[in-house]
Amino acid sequence: MQRGLVEVLILAVPAGLLGTWIVLRGLAFFAHAVGTAAFPGLVLADGLGFAAPLGAFGAALLFTGGNAALGRGRDRERDSVVALVLVGCLAGGVILASDVFGSGANVETLLFGSLLLVDGGDIALAAVAAAATIFATALAGRRWLAHGFDPGFISSPRQAALLDAALLGLIALTSVAALSVVGALLVSALFVVPAATARLLTRRMRSWQAASVALVAAEGTVGLWLSAKTDAPPGATIACVAGAAFAAVALGQAIARLPRPALVATGTLVALALLVGGCGQPGSGDDGKLAVVATTTQIGDWVREVGGGAVAVDQVLQPNTDPHEYEPRPSDVEAAAGATLVFASGDDLDGWIEQIVSDGGSDATIVDLGAAVPERLPGESSGAEASRYDPHWWHDPRNAEAAVREIGRRLASADPSHRREFERNVSSYLSRLRKLDAGIASCVGSVPAGRRKLVTDHDAFGYFADRYGIDVVGAVIPSQTTQAEPSAKDLSELVGLIEREKVEAVFPESSLSAKVAEAIANQTGAAASYTLYGDTLGPAGSSGATYLGMEAANADSLVRGFTGGRHGCRLRP
Amino acid sequence: MSVEALIEAAGLEAGYDGLPAVAEVSFTLAAGERLALLGPNGGGKTTILRAVLGELRPLAGTLRVAASCGSVPQTERSRLDYPVSALEVAMMGALSRLPWWRRPGRVDRDAARAALARVGLESLADETFGELSGGQRQRVLIARALVQDARVLLMDEPFTGLDHAAADRLEALIAVLAEEGHGIVIATHDLEQARRWDSVLCVNQRQIAVGPPEQTLDRPVLEATYGGAIVEIPGTGGRAILPPHHHHH
Repeated sequence: MQRGLVEVLILAVPAGLLGTWIVLRGLAFFAHAVGTAAFPGLVLADGLGFAAPLGAFGAALLFTGGNAALGRGRDRERDSVVALVLVGCLAGGVILASDVFGSGANVETLLFGSLLLVDGGDIALAAVAAAATIFATALAGRRWLAHGFDPGFISSPRQAALLDAALLGLIALTSVAALSVVGALLVSALFVVPAATARLLTRRMRSWQAASVALVAAEGTVGLWLSAKTDAPPGATIACVAGAAFAAVALGQAIARLPRPALVATGTLVALALLVGGCGQPGSGDDGKLAVVATTTQIGDWVREVGGGAVAVDQVLQPNTDPHEYEPRPSDVEAAAGATLVFASGDDLDGWIEQIVSDGGSDATIVDLGAAVPERLPGESSGAEASRYDPHWWHDPRNAEAAVREIGRRLASADPSHRREFERNVSSYLSRLRKLDAGIASCVGSVPAGRRKLVTDHDAFGYFADRYGIDVVGAVIPSQTTQAEPSAKDLSELVGLIEREKVEAVFPESSLSAKVAEAIANQTGAAASYTLYGDTLGPAGSSGATYLGMEAANADSLVRGFTGGRHGCRLRP
Repeated sequence: MSVEALIEAAGLEAGYDGLPAVAEVSFTLAAGERLALLGPNGGGKTTILRAVLGELRPLAGTLRVAASCGSVPQTERSRLDYPVSALEVAMMGALSRLPWWRRPGRVDRDAARAALARVGLESLADETFGELSGGQRQRVLIARALVQDARVLLMDEPFTGLDHAAADRLEALIAVLAEEGHGIVIATHDLEQARRWDSVLCVNQRQIAVGPPEQTLDRPVLEATYGGAIVEIPGTGGRAILPPHHHHH
């Protein structure tokens, strides 16, 4: 949190200064696009293994150069040129991601930055952008102003091009620095909105620049504070604060032009204060329980089962959020800071937890449950998503049993006074788990082996299939991550496979969009109406709200799919 | 009259992307001379001004510019929403004399104040440029050219949109500057005004004629310059050009 504040305060300098030029020169679309255009650079950096900001900056510079070359001296056509080059960059990035490197890897997470995960490198990059912007503004500020004010004034075309290139290059650099903070989509919140707000209040360049920098700093600080209070993602909160500030100033100026402005203004202020005050939430107290963080929904379920009333569990992921693309919230950092134990799933599925723990200054022990389970299947052998093991180990109940035992052991050594209770809870849970395991085995076993053919959204069910003798024929997304986009070739191969193997059903995963699976089902005549719980539990009240419920529901869906709806598994979790 | 040539063009051809917009232009601008640049919209007036400024390279012919040039663009072109004062605009002129690493200092600020005083605007120095009247904006831009130490002023339709009083004031200022030895090129649509100046240059994609107005502005030249867009003013024997419907910037 403190590092996030430092980062925002440093970034306020280049963002505020450049924001004035962006507003003045009509470069808002360019500033918005240049962050997004960094995408292919991020893919390359991830695929070839060099620093992400370097890749992003390289791509942003290329984007800037493309714009400068195509849009030379034609301010009015700039937006169409920006759009043209942006499409090229995004298309290149998508092709690189899905066809060259075989997966989308974690690139999208880089496009959605987070102030809670700022590291020393991010701060250094912001400081470089700040220094470069201050230097360039001192040196070239008056020439930028004269050139923008009267494009014919700097009559040497070379000097004019150089001035524009320097400005666009600085915007690119600062955008890249801001990527890790607010993400590509919200960069405008730092660049454009505060400067546009400050413009309403100032009449001269110098006061405008000062007001813009101050406003970015203030909105960043307030946004961070507000996000800590309301537990919303900081980037989006800052963007909301910036938007609200603009609306308030514009509204205030409109009111000032009305008759009896003071009265109307007071009324508006009171209404706004009530609105803001109403949003505040009281924090919850800690009543001496053992504080534990669980990263995934299934681990949260186990820790609650084992810990009972003696443990306060903060579960980071919520039902139906994809662990592959997750942005942490302030409460996660806070919970990690106050936690004694952190249970993680491991295998890069929840790698962000280490940074959350270190960022919160926590000395909590991270327990990698994935390392404690007995049954391991190999992961992707190649590509950016290559990992030693398939991370979806919880779909084998024997692994769940080992994980629950480990949780019990760790809780007992952290809080020996409740050892008895923990042990009791573990053994009663394990007996339910074993009963369910046997029930699933016999239910799936009743389907002839030749018909147990599984096609699903992504390769999340290797362990389940391995445990109960199911044949994984193919996956709609041909990788264990949810981030790869299937190509036309992948899909037509899959359709051929489904027809050859006479697969009866395609199973969309409940937390993912079922569109692709449905399209395949339509082409092949296979059913697509049976959904599976893959990466997360279902929301409260659904059949997959607990781990045992999830596995029972999955078994039921699978058997119904295999048998064309004639049989199911009636298991009591 | 000892004639010091500030600009000499011979067979000049200039245009955009290699395509000529105006050709066969040959003229001389002497110190103290007011040259009216006449022609229809799209006839090549602005192209000639941009070539003299160095923004466009001649496609053919020669163009010798022996003095520093200051541009006085149409105010529509200058952004009215810029957060700059009249003084700051005038001070921009210093940038073209200073090397790129130097920032304007107190000397330049004093020069800008003096230039504003010469165009009669010292009392409005701290007003926002965009809030001044059209005539005042033109005079601020002239002050900017003076701060540049420009010997040649290139004015692109400076009278457009001015009322009578403002136009008279601007014309008087132009006369004073010419007397002081500035060469002044004024692109204009106003024939009667052009007749009061030292010489006229008529262009319509190519040069039609050049010379003192009384010898140059006869009917064939005007028809070649403006096509059919001239009308006789009934009863006076005078002629007028039908005003263009819109300006092309």
